[in-house]
Amino acid sequence: MGRTAARLQWLAMGLLALGLTGVSPVQVLGALAIGLSVLTALKLLEARRLGERRLVALLQLVVAGLLSALQPDLVPSLLQIATMFVALAGLLALEVGEGPDWRSLLRRSMSVLLAALPMALVLLLLVPRMSPFSMLPILDDQTAVTGLSETLNPGSIAALADDTAPAARVSFPTGAPPAAEQRYWRVLVHDRFDGRQWLAAPGVRRLSVTTPETPGPNATGALQELWIVEPSGLTTVPWSGNGVPLGTLLRQDSRGELRLRLSTGQRRVYGIAAVPPSAGDNWREQPPRPLDLQGISGRNPRLEALGAQWSRLPAPRERLMAAERWFRNQGFRYSRTPGALPEQAPLDAFLFDRREGFCGHFAGSFSALMRRAGVPARVVSGFRGGSWVTALGGEGYLDLRRSDAHAWSEVWLPGEGWIRIDPSAWVTNPAPARSQAPAAQGSLGWLQRQWWAVDLLWTRWWLGFDRQAQDQLLRRLLGEQRGWVGALILVLVAVGLAAGLGLLAWLGRRGGGDPLRRELERSLALLARHGLAPTPGETLPRFLARVQRQWPALAADLNGLADTYGAARFAPPRSGGPAAGLRELRRRRRRLASELHRGNSHPGKHAGHAGTAPDATD
Amino acid sequence: MTRPGRPPLAELTEAIGRVLLGKQHAVRLALACLLARGHLLIEDLPGVGKSTLAEALARSFGLEFRRVSFTSDLLPADLTGVNVFEPAEARFRFRPGPLFSQVLLADEINRASPRTQSALLEAMAAGRVSVDGTSHPLPEPFLVIATQNGLDQGGTAPLPESQLDRFLMRLSLGFPPREAERALLAGEGTSSEALGQRLTPADLLALQERSGRQHVSSALLDYVLDLLARSREPGRSGLPLSPRAGLGLLAAARAWSLIEGRDHVIPDDVQAVAAAVCEHRLDGGQPGTTAGERSAALLAGVDGLR
Repeated sequence: MGRTAARLQWLAMGLLALGLTGVSPVQVLGALAIGLSVLTALKLLEARRLGERRLVALLQLVVAGLLSALQPDLVPSLLQIATMFVALAGLLALEVGEGPDWRSLLRRSMSVLLAALPMALVLLLLVPRMSPFSMLPILDDQTAVTGLSETLNPGSIAALADDTAPAARVSFPTGAPPAAEQRYWRVLVHDRFDGRQWLAAPGVRRLSVTTPETPGPNATGALQELWIVEPSGLTTVPWSGNGVPLGTLLRQDSRGELRLRLSTGQRRVYGIAAVPPSAGDNWREQPPRPLDLQGISGRNPRLEALGAQWSRLPAPRERLMAAERWFRNQGFRYSRTPGALPEQAPLDAFLFDRREGFCGHFAGSFSALMRRAGVPARVVSGFRGGSWVTALGGEGYLDLRRSDAHAWSEVWLPGEGWIRIDPSAWVTNPAPARSQAPAAQGSLGWLQRQWWAVDLLWTRWWLGFDRQAQDQLLRRLLGEQRGWVGALILVLVAVGLAAGLGLLAWLGRRGGGDPLRRELERSLALLARHGLAPTPGETLPRFLARVQRQWPALAADLNGLADTYGAARFAPPRSGGPAAGLRELRRRRRRLASELHRGNSHPGKHAGHAGTAPDATD
Repeated sequence: MTRPGRPPLAELTEAIGRVLLGKQHAVRLALACLLARGHLLIEDLPGVGKSTLAEALARSFGLEFRRVSFTSDLLPADLTGVNVFEPAEARFRFRPGPLFSQVLLADEINRASPRTQSALLEAMAAGRVSVDGTSHPLPEPFLVIATQNGLDQGGTAPLPESQLDRFLMRLSLGFPPREAERALLAGEGTSSEALGQRLTPADLLALQERSGRQHVSSALLDYVLDLLARSREPGRSGLPLSPRAGLGLLAAARAWSLIEGRDHVIPDDVQAVAAAVCEHRLDGGQPGTTAGERSAALLAGVDGLR
């Protein structure tokens, strides 16, 4: 129990504390981990004996394991590995003693970890994964918001701030990213219009779309988008609108929003599977509600007049065309600083007087026009574009910043369902969607983008290794009989481990003595079965005399054993050499064994002979 | 353990045992000390038979026996002897002191001044005495049996650790068991005067020589080395055992094995003498609460099976 061990254990304690900073005490496992590590620290504080310190090392490893279940993200995982590494080194320092230096301790610790790797691999493959790939809260306590809010009121915004803070990252593990003009990432749907602002209406039906329990034959290919979203004040998260969300914490509603079950101020990870939703569960095919045609009449008279004019066209598609034509001919200009709109008839002021604004103005007024023209319409806000980052040696990903926030319209056409219309694209100087990485961010920005790429890779391969992926991998490795083959492998590994441990113990005993001593140990083992073992420091004659007092009938055998061993061990070499002594000892052991066996079948026998046995004390 | 044949020295120990009733083990240890050419320190109360033991040992081998009571004014010359001028021959002649005896009983050694103590101990270690530049060999065999009173008694100069180390063994006779004391009071024991000479000094020298040739196997050497190493482990209470202690332990164990009638040493021999040889080296002259507790702990810390 050297100081090295104490230092290593305290270091492990510190690393654990660092890892615990991101753990919420509200979760059961989190509370357990925190409580356990407090206990461990207290135990370490008062631990003096070797056994106690061993217990501390064990507890540290358990807490690190708990943490790894709680926080499977990249940075916490690295921290947990470091913690286990140091805790193991502390344990080794306890066991090895004061001798070795730090470097050799750490090397040993590394080799122990490496030795455990095959076992970890087998467990990873065969033991069912704890949680399916789903929404995982990730260590991060920022409470920033994306550039989106539940209420869209462009009229009150005089100028858009150019906020380049990261909002989300998305990678496309199984396919190419969508074409630049298709990169619309929907987050919120605003379907209630009060003449000035667009809001989200209540009473939305939840779609029952969730991950299919039995993945199809190409289920690994099911992961179409992998998202990491920075903390926001919203409960909805971005997606492309295609496929279905994976996991149980995420719900798709009938408007096509992805809604979290829990509100969050944390980073979130989730995946979208490329599975076509069953008919009736596709948000695009949901019929419009009366709400989708409502506009507050009288707030914007000129807008309503224009919409009413289009409503005379017979087909909704024609009304749409007319609106596009009209927008393109008005000479609208895109501006991030259009100034605030008046309280009275704000959309009229935008459409017919100012004629410049940003996406919210265009989407809001276009949807209002469409409603007046009798076409169900709503405003969708989310992100558009994003800059494509090509990671070193890995897959690229799309980097979405808050300034990529965008709003567009959706209209419902009979037979086609909800389709996306982006009126901002019709203006004379459309704002280009960002598609290149911002170049002027220096090496720090480059480093950060590379780190995010690693983060995404980790998320995909490690967090994405869920029960399905495991099953798939097993199917590929072991074929259809993976169930019992896996069980067989687990059993074999367990048996192998036990056998290995036994072998180690046997080797340890075998290595710790010469043939004579090993032979003696066998004789002692015979007696040990009857509960007789030498006390510390006791010599063989003394011990055997003690045995003899208990079993006087064995006197001759015991004396013979003591004399033979003493002669073979300590007497000057005689004829026959050590082999003769060994043979003699073996013979004596067999005789003792048979005597003991006979005595064993009649427990009282040896005691019964006590009177007749010669008194043979020293 | 019963053994065939009778140990050669059994008769002797039994005879001395009849003088010193109930002290069989102490008698054998003292004999072992004599065979191992070591010196003996007996620490005990007056009247438990220290001088009887010394006298019995000397008599049974026909050795010359002297007794010196150490007092605070005893000078080194009182022990070693002086050069005396012989007017008749007109030259100095060395008149040997009591040190020149084969068995010297140094009574209450810790009452003498450190200077006198050290003169005695030097003679014990070197086997010779220098007086006025002339070296005089001490007789062979030469055994010092020193007695020492409890350290709590007044007017004592306790032996320092380095000088305790010169004594092969420290014994404590203690009170005889009740039965032995009954026999003593009933006058059943023999007096040391009645103890006849059984062996000659030449026999003793032969036995000493034979004791030194008792076989020691490498397994036993390992056992002794383990004991020494164990005593030197950091964090153990007590002083570490010196190499001289190791030599003494082995020599005493050899003598013990000879007394036991064996031609080789076994761990039991080491254990039998360990308390007498090691305890005073482990405790540095400050006995613990129970006799031999430190050496017992030492023995319990090393595998005795070998």
